[in-house]
Amino acid sequence: MMSSDTGTPERSARTEDTRTSQRISPTVVTVATIYGLVLVMILASRLISPSFGGLSQLETILYLSSFLVFCAFGQGLVILVRGLDLSVASVITVGGVLSASLMDGSNTGLLHVIPTILLACALIGIVNGIGVTVFNMPPFIMTMASGIIVYSLCLGFTGGTPRGFPAPAMNDFMQARVFGIPSPIWLLVVFAALGTLVQSFSSFGRKLTAVGNNPEAAYVAGLPARRLIIAVYGISAACAGFTGILLASYANGATLRMGDDYLLPSIAAVVVGGSSILGGRGTFLGTVGGAMLLTTLSTILSALGIGQGWKTIMEGGVILLALILLRNQVFDGLRALVMRKD
Amino acid sequence: MTDAIRGRDRAPRKTPLISIRYIADSAFLIVVIYALMAVIYVAVQPSALSAYSIESLLNNSLPLMLAAAGATFVILQGGFDLSVAGTISLVNVTIAINPHDGPGGALWVLGISLAIGITVGAINGFIVAYLRIQSIAATLATMIIGQGAALIILKAPGGSVSDFMVYGLTGSVVDRLPFALVIALCVMAFWTVYSRTDAGRNLMAVGQDRKAAALSGINVRRTEFLAFVWAGAFYALAAYMLAAQTSTGNPAAGTPFLLLTFAAVALGGTAFGGGRGGVTASLFGAATLMLMQKVLFSLGVSSFYTGVIQGLIMIAAVLFASAVNHAARPKGHG
Repeated sequence: MMSSDTGTPERSARTEDTRTSQRISPTVVTVATIYGLVLVMILASRLISPSFGGLSQLETILYLSSFLVFCAFGQGLVILVRGLDLSVASVITVGGVLSASLMDGSNTGLLHVIPTILLACALIGIVNGIGVTVFNMPPFIMTMASGIIVYSLCLGFTGGTPRGFPAPAMNDFMQARVFGIPSPIWLLVVFAALGTLVQSFSSFGRKLTAVGNNPEAAYVAGLPARRLIIAVYGISAACAGFTGILLASYANGATLRMGDDYLLPSIAAVVVGGSSILGGRGTFLGTVGGAMLLTTLSTILSALGIGQGWKTIMEGGVILLALILLRNQVFDGLRALVMRKD
Repeated sequence: MTDAIRGRDRAPRKTPLISIRYIADSAFLIVVIYALMAVIYVAVQPSALSAYSIESLLNNSLPLMLAAAGATFVILQGGFDLSVAGTISLVNVTIAINPHDGPGGALWVLGISLAIGITVGAINGFIVAYLRIQSIAATLATMIIGQGAALIILKAPGGSVSDFMVYGLTGSVVDRLPFALVIALCVMAFWTVYSRTDAGRNLMAVGQDRKAAALSGINVRRTEFLAFVWAGAFYALAAYMLAAQTSTGNPAAGTPFLLLTFAAVALGGTAFGGGRGGVTASLFGAATLMLMQKVLFSLGVSSFYTGVIQGLIMIAAVLFASAVNHAARPKGHG
């Protein structure tokens, strides 16, 4: 998406880095550090309130971060191929508005309605992908414009106030517990496992990494770069639509602004999770950790009772800190330390 | 309106290459679009030509124009600056809690505003140029921090802006010469000069090819840093004029600017990725976006669907600009 020159030194540094040992890869250290941070924060929050730091808090954090995780998966794939999806917020709204109006408070036809909504959202993403690849539009502008268009259509379609309710079964699902754990958390676990499989261990994921690392080389190597990128934007929009369906089911209704709180956090989760915003590097487990880190921070800061202003500043500060740490190879130093002990 | 743009798609091809080059590199195209839009507006709504209408249209447009002008500096050197939203909010609330009256007070407040804007810009520039963090991610963080700081200064919309700013700066300098127009012309004059200085040429060179720029002895980091500082200063100006126009402070004042600023820059034909475009084009891009809302409203288009047309025009403008640029390139280049 952008001039790649600034990223090249870092990337080459990372490829050289394999010289000492293959046993601990930088990615593993990055991801482990993020989860370590989440754990430390949860445990430390016991100091704030005795009701914190336990399993119930972990449950709340997992539940709340699941929405962010679902849409951040698509965002992560788009960023992996050097793109950016700014239409996420609007597509979440589309997912929510469509589920409220199509399900209309009844369970009948649920099995048709959900795929229909996902398909409709995926189509928006495919249009994004075609704009980016075939028409060479900058992803930033293409997805921003399509987001504005789609949001405006939602506004016109609903006349300003979305009507209808999601299916009761969906609402029940969001509140159900399986083996004592809320079902959305099971969904999160399955999604994280599948997402990791797709992004890091499938040939599709490896192709995306190749396209993100060097689009020209990937093209020369015979990869259908255009089709891959179009597919990725489609997946991103479908994920956003999925998030919208679940959010509407959770809140038992849709609002036009329901997606707004997820656009920038979806990018932040990917970046905090150790992915390069330049593309070609990143893991979904890292993104999940990033989403959990942001959610944990936000719940703890809310519990501290400090004002919204300081809370926002600290959230921004954590993103900045994560960026600086990731960039300036603090993690590399940490890894060197770990290896010396080996 | 989309037809108007498409219609022009064919016309320039007949003219020699030199003028296509000119169209690709200057604000020509967006000025034409703006003029067309203005003609439609006047045709539909003759009262648009009254001094009051012109003044209020310019006053409404100016904050976005200034914000887009600032963002252009960063985009020209090949980056993104999301901090526009945070900076405008922060400066806006700072103005609202410092209502010093009179011309001296307004000047003092302007000084404070610029100081904040430049500081935020310098922080962004330092993080991006010297800590080597990708601009879009770094400014996402500073934008959030700026919004937080704005909330600390002012929890809810309120505060007050001095009468001098509210009435003086939104009025006319002399009869029928709105202050907003004078400021816009000053910015254009500034860019015309700046783009011809070494600093301006460096900015374009860095945006076109960082390695080549570095090899030819340009201090790439300082150029990047400066771009963010200029951007910060212009966001502060935007927030200053916004405060004068709304006569109040709002910790969320900057949020609507985030996407609109980039839309305005894109509409102006400045290439995302850097190296092509200019501040004047962005000023007209922003003015066109604001004028378009008025035109659509006067044409009776439901305000719900304004976004559809805005989005389509953005896509069409970018496609057209890249087509013109493609045609202007020497043959044999992809």
